[in-house]
Amino acid sequence: MKRLLSLSLVVVLVLSLVGCGGEQQDELVIYSGRSKALVDSLVQQYRQQTDVPVRVRYGTDSQLLAALQEEGDQSPADVFWANTTGALGNAVNNGLLTELPDTLADRATRFTPSNQRWTPVTTRFRVLAYNSDTVSPEDLPDSVLDLPEHDEFEGRIGWTPAYSSFQDFTTALRVTEGEETARTWLTNMQELDPNSYTSNTPMVQALEAGEIDVALTNHYYVLRLKHGGAEGEYEEEEHEEEEHEEEEEAAARASAPVETYHFAERDLGNLALVTGAGALQTSNQPDAANRFLRYLLSEKAQSFAADRVNEYPVVAGTPVPGYMTPAEEALQLSPEFELQRLQEMDPTLELLRDVGAL
Amino acid sequence: MTVARVLDTIRRRWYVAIPVAVVVGGVLIPLVYLLLRALQADPGTLWDLVVRGRTLQLLGNTVGLTAGVLVGTSVLALPLAWLTTRTALLGRKVLTLLGVLPLAVPGYVMAYALMATTGEYGTLAQMLGLVVPRLSGYTGAWIALSLSTFPYLFLNLRTAFLGLDPSLEESARALGRGRWQVFVQVVLPQMRPAFLSGGLLVALHVLGDFGVVSLMRYDTFSYALYIQYAASYDRVYAACLALMLLILTGAVLLLEARLLKGLLFHRTESGTGRTAAQYGLGRWRWAGYAFALGVAGLSVVLPAGTVGYWMADSAASGVPWSSLGAALWDSVSASAPAAVLAALLALPVAYLGVRHPSNWTRVVERVAYLGYATPPLAFALALIVFSLGAVPFAYQTLGLLVMAYAVHFMAEAVGPVRSALYQAPPHLEEAARSLGRSPLGAFVGVTFPLVRRGLLVSMAFVFLSAMKELPLTFLLAPIGFETLALNTWSYAEEAMFGQAAPYALTIMFVSALFVGVLLLREQATERSAAAERT
Repeated sequence: MKRLLSLSLVVVLVLSLVGCGGEQQDELVIYSGRSKALVDSLVQQYRQQTDVPVRVRYGTDSQLLAALQEEGDQSPADVFWANTTGALGNAVNNGLLTELPDTLADRATRFTPSNQRWTPVTTRFRVLAYNSDTVSPEDLPDSVLDLPEHDEFEGRIGWTPAYSSFQDFTTALRVTEGEETARTWLTNMQELDPNSYTSNTPMVQALEAGEIDVALTNHYYVLRLKHGGAEGEYEEEEHEEEEHEEEEEAAARASAPVETYHFAERDLGNLALVTGAGALQTSNQPDAANRFLRYLLSEKAQSFAADRVNEYPVVAGTPVPGYMTPAEEALQLSPEFELQRLQEMDPTLELLRDVGAL
Repeated sequence: MTVARVLDTIRRRWYVAIPVAVVVGGVLIPLVYLLLRALQADPGTLWDLVVRGRTLQLLGNTVGLTAGVLVGTSVLALPLAWLTTRTALLGRKVLTLLGVLPLAVPGYVMAYALMATTGEYGTLAQMLGLVVPRLSGYTGAWIALSLSTFPYLFLNLRTAFLGLDPSLEESARALGRGRWQVFVQVVLPQMRPAFLSGGLLVALHVLGDFGVVSLMRYDTFSYALYIQYAASYDRVYAACLALMLLILTGAVLLLEARLLKGLLFHRTESGTGRTAAQYGLGRWRWAGYAFALGVAGLSVVLPAGTVGYWMADSAASGVPWSSLGAALWDSVSASAPAAVLAALLALPVAYLGVRHPSNWTRVVERVAYLGYATPPLAFALALIVFSLGAVPFAYQTLGLLVMAYAVHFMAEAVGPVRSALYQAPPHLEEAARSLGRSPLGAFVGVTFPLVRRGLLVSMAFVFLSAMKELPLTFLLAPIGFETLALNTWSYAEEAMFGQAAPYALTIMFVSALFVGVLLLREQATERSAAAERT
């Protein structure tokens, strides 16, 4: 009896340790820096459409990069789907990504890196969102660099130092204007006692709720608040009931006192950033990985990005909802910037920590 | 104690050696590993990271929030415990249930409900035209944490009130003290052990919490640790923060042990105890009801109602039944084995403590608290670093998650088993032994059936905690393993409340069922107390 009990205890322990450790071979494993809330239904569609078993590990870019590094050769991941160019560039530098076939690398019309190690998937723009009840756009600065001078916003600015797009912007600031300017800007911003948010949606909602007056964010967060990721006017296809609901909800929120402000043309505050994805060196099923990448660039997935997330598609000819600024116009506002220069994330993180923002 | 004697003790008490080894190994090895990793860094960098204004600020914030929540929970729990035990209010059972139900509401859901209620566009403003500033920062975190953790204190205080010896109060009254004076001078001091043990649980929760503080944007050590993990994954700094948090937790534990030392309150008379007289509140009973219902309204009805409102919102566009089912299954498949494992680990520890009390067994019981006291984020981080470095096959497996839950929550399982063991008379076991059963046979045949109920309560406690658990799950869950808590969190963090609602509601519903099981224990203690009296 004694032996039986101790034996069963050991068995329980061992079983729980080994547990579901085994892993199926033909599963596609995606490491996604994009948030689950934004892209999960796209993955679900892929699953249904292709019957390929897909498992996604959601996290932040840097978290997944660190995981990939730690796991090394043993990594189960096939695809790295990142929120920022910085993370992708970093992955390329560390030799994590394989070269994509030409047919795949040619799909996107803009921003494709010359090394063909990843493909852009969507484009977004940095903007300044403001509460239109309390702020009039004429009072806002021409350049994001002048924002710290507006001490009327003391304690009323929102930003997201932990979020990868903000970190990309900081990297851009650092490499174009120099380390010292970047440090001064961050320090001066810090003196205005900004509210730090971990992600953008809650920040934009705080803007709506009057907790802050202005917020440094990505363009689609404002659109998503006001239009709820609803479809635009251009499409007359039959809507699912779900979408009707969302449109109704959208109508309710369209009056939210949150507006988008663009800085002067070519200002760094309007920087265009891209999300992208690549296939990993360690993947034992590169074809399946490439199939998924191709899916991300398909008409369906690109339209999804435009309609539901309100990001800009990268494949030419994909329409965007009517309430979005046309892509060409938005691109005009963004400064010319070689996105590959964003890959040095570490000095940026160090800088953010140094000034106490992280 | 010589080595030989230690070895001998281990041989005789092998059944305790296993859980102790699991807990000590499970907690200490990863932590030591974390420490070593942190020390690998360049000492200069390390020094700069640790010794700076921000650390001091984090320390101040963390201590301030913990102290505030301790006061907040006391203000909620003490009157409620008194009302449900020492007054003649009708419906005390219902009020007790309402006082325990907040355990079914995860802190992060509470925080979201509060944020959605306040502010210029919150439900308060929309429904009543009442504009209160949107809760955030210290105030927000303080309110949310107080509302979601006070049941730990409430349960402890209730037990203490029920066990009070009325003769002390009667003597004080006879000596001419007024009711209020008696309460302050005689009753309250006797509540100290309950305050300390309940307060310890509350403090550990506050120190370990990252959901509420990150939603309310209040910089504490846990929040900073989470940011480091999410934003930059700087392992050295993350390890430093984790270690600083550990030191703080250690300080709290020491303080509690110190304050508890020498406290001993027992009945003054010989013979069986009596029930204390219950106060009729007269006109004041309405104030009593108002208080109890107010607390329940804020801590249970508000979050449940808010989530229900979001649910109605998302129900119109279809409830995602399949992923809800999958998430429920994931939650249960991690929480249930963890509950069983934790109870199995707790049983020998509690048995030793009850049947063979000594200094040595007290140490063993403290070890059980080790896992509980380790802040979950630090623990999870240590486990990741350790498993990748030393046991890569276990990395990102369900087994590791289950082990982490079990080691972390084992302390919650010890209490109920222990009280059950106290009620199982040792002479029954001795009789079985004298009739020829082996020690283990006697235990399994005689004592085990008597403690089954306690074990059940233990499992319920652990299951309940594991269902809500976020940080451990967040860092250790296998790829594609998405529990109800993870789903709730990832949607709520993006402020997609409609999508978060079905998951949050399921957690609260399943947990509420288990809260019922917890009250079984309450009633058992009450009944046994009553049986003792008659």
